[in-house]
Amino acid sequence: MKIKAQISMVMNLDKCIGCHTCSITCKNVWTNRQGAEYMYFNNVETKPGIGYPKHWENQEKWQGGWELKNGELRLRSGSKLERLAKLFYHPDQPEMDDYYEPWTYDYETLINTKRKNHQPVARPRSLITQQRMEIKWGPNWEDDLADGQSARQDYNLKNMGTDITMEFHDLFMKYLPRVCNHCLNPACVAACPSGAIYKRDEDGVVLVSQEGCRGWRHCIPACPYKKVYFNWKTNKAEKCIFCFPRLENGLPTVCSDTCVGRLRYMGVLLYDMDKVKDAASTPHKGEIYHSMLDIIQDPFAPEVIKAAKASGVPANWLLAAQNSPVYRLIKEWQIALPLHPEYRTLPMVWYVPPLSPITRRAEADVYLPAVEDMRIPLTYLAELFAAGNTAIVSRVLQRLLDMRTFMRSRETGEKLSRKLEYDEETYLAMYRLLGIAKYKERFNIPAGLQGETKDKMRELQGSCGYNCPGGC
Amino acid sequence: MNEFMYGIMPYIALTIFVGGTIFRYTVYERNWTTKSSEFLSKRDLKWANPLFHIGLLMAFGGHCIGILVPKFVTEAAGTDEHMYHLVSLAGGLPAAVLFLGGFLLLLKRRFAASERMAVNTSNMDRLLYLVLFLTILSGTIGTVSNIPGGFDYRESISPWFRSLLLMQPDVRLMDNVPLVFQFHMLMWMLTAILFPFTRLVHCLSFPFEYLFRSNIIYRKK
Repeated sequence: MKIKAQISMVMNLDKCIGCHTCSITCKNVWTNRQGAEYMYFNNVETKPGIGYPKHWENQEKWQGGWELKNGELRLRSGSKLERLAKLFYHPDQPEMDDYYEPWTYDYETLINTKRKNHQPVARPRSLITQQRMEIKWGPNWEDDLADGQSARQDYNLKNMGTDITMEFHDLFMKYLPRVCNHCLNPACVAACPSGAIYKRDEDGVVLVSQEGCRGWRHCIPACPYKKVYFNWKTNKAEKCIFCFPRLENGLPTVCSDTCVGRLRYMGVLLYDMDKVKDAASTPHKGEIYHSMLDIIQDPFAPEVIKAAKASGVPANWLLAAQNSPVYRLIKEWQIALPLHPEYRTLPMVWYVPPLSPITRRAEADVYLPAVEDMRIPLTYLAELFAAGNTAIVSRVLQRLLDMRTFMRSRETGEKLSRKLEYDEETYLAMYRLLGIAKYKERFNIPAGLQGETKDKMRELQGSCGYNCPGGC
Repeated sequence: MNEFMYGIMPYIALTIFVGGTIFRYTVYERNWTTKSSEFLSKRDLKWANPLFHIGLLMAFGGHCIGILVPKFVTEAAGTDEHMYHLVSLAGGLPAAVLFLGGFLLLLKRRFAASERMAVNTSNMDRLLYLVLFLTILSGTIGTVSNIPGGFDYRESISPWFRSLLLMQPDVRLMDNVPLVFQFHMLMWMLTAILFPFTRLVHCLSFPFEYLFRSNIIYRKK
């Protein structure tokens, strides 16, 4: 057993209103530079939809993630030699039009135009070529099913083998905010010919070294979530950095901090590094979720604590792991699910699936619908979060409904019709974390260097300038 | 004149080539990149770029054999001059077609096909493309014009280049070299001077080590 710590995130989709605040604050901090205009380290998609970049979930097109070939785990894009043969031209690399051409508007014409009969117009101008352009697609083109027909091309619908109607009374949709998943088995790291992408030993954040990157751009198709981007100006790869400068100071990422729905949770998970490959190689894709739960270790178990200390997890990190909001949601209560576990990268950003209103078809006069009567089809959620295993999703939704049933019975005094899965305290804690969602309870991030070097820092007080404590 | 061109200039070029590359790697590694533009213009890269690079590798291999292997070695191995010339043409002509052909396609792609490419083209790129074009063109013309085999570079250019490497340049060897080959010499020296300051450095980053490393890399802060 080799225990490592991972900073992980959970998003409670029940509360996402698709406001894009996360995307915008992230963009303003990290990607408002030339070459990075089109990049959204964090973006919000309306599902069903083809997403950003277009059709990112279609791995037959992009060859992203891992696959099992004769029981062996390997990158879908081929063996190392096969991939080196693609250095000069990568057939699976997305190009700018797969995202969109970034633009601004000629705002000055609004001020400088001469007197005319008509209102002046600020026309779009490309941020790449600086020429006038026609806007054909954008990063949130499908907001609230705006594009209409593109929603039907959602790859998950194809997997479900059903079409959806665009009739208003049967429509369903939900929002899906996406960041880099900082996977335990990251395909981008494995695909980088230069070895420039790495997983940080201390907190599991996946980073691209801007020194080491040579622009071979193999990470971009390899990431099944398309969360590594190519900067056309610096000609190097960039990706979400989980706001690591903030993490190191015990602060949550910008997207989490600014989320107006307060739906993001961040904290520490402990996992067994020795079992990562086996979990990623789980034969049946619908079971990968369970394998992922298996490698996440109980931070209270004495043997885990011992192993964690042995592999150098600091004391304050252990403490944070024991008091981790994400551990409770993911492992203790099991109400958070990974996005597309079938890509076998073992993503570490998890989602509490959304409940949705009752469908027209179910006409029972009930306050809370049954899981399968909800508007968003179970099979659709299962495609997104459980590799098609509907049992997993329906269990999670049932737990969320149970919590509501329990809280309702407390208010109304109605008797519960059946015995619920968890005890009273659990539902109250669940309600508090999901419903009240206080800042301090949503985030528990240990500041990077604190625990180990507190005494050292005192020693060094007034003695050195821009060194890090401990003298590195 | 020859004294400078073939006795001093190569050393200036090679010094800048080596020193500049080390300097850039140690000080400016952050901009050490292939400068890939596939993101901006993908379709017309599909054939042009692999063709160009295959031609380049063939041409590079041919130059290594032609310049670094002394004549007496191949002759000792039982290859007479005529035979050698045929073999070198059999390799050199296809290489020239791929190399120059691929390069022309890339030139068209960069300068005539798309507005997006223009923003990815720096002044240094323009200079580099000009120098590279003249280098490849003069090499191709040299090869083609020498099909009858009147000029034996293995009696002149090759021993001169080896004498350079041995730090005892024998400038007289270059006295009767045809003009197009002399021009080719000038161009490779210019290329070598430009090398550290352009995208060319990416050839030193060919990721051999990738074949031998583990899939997932962990690194401490």
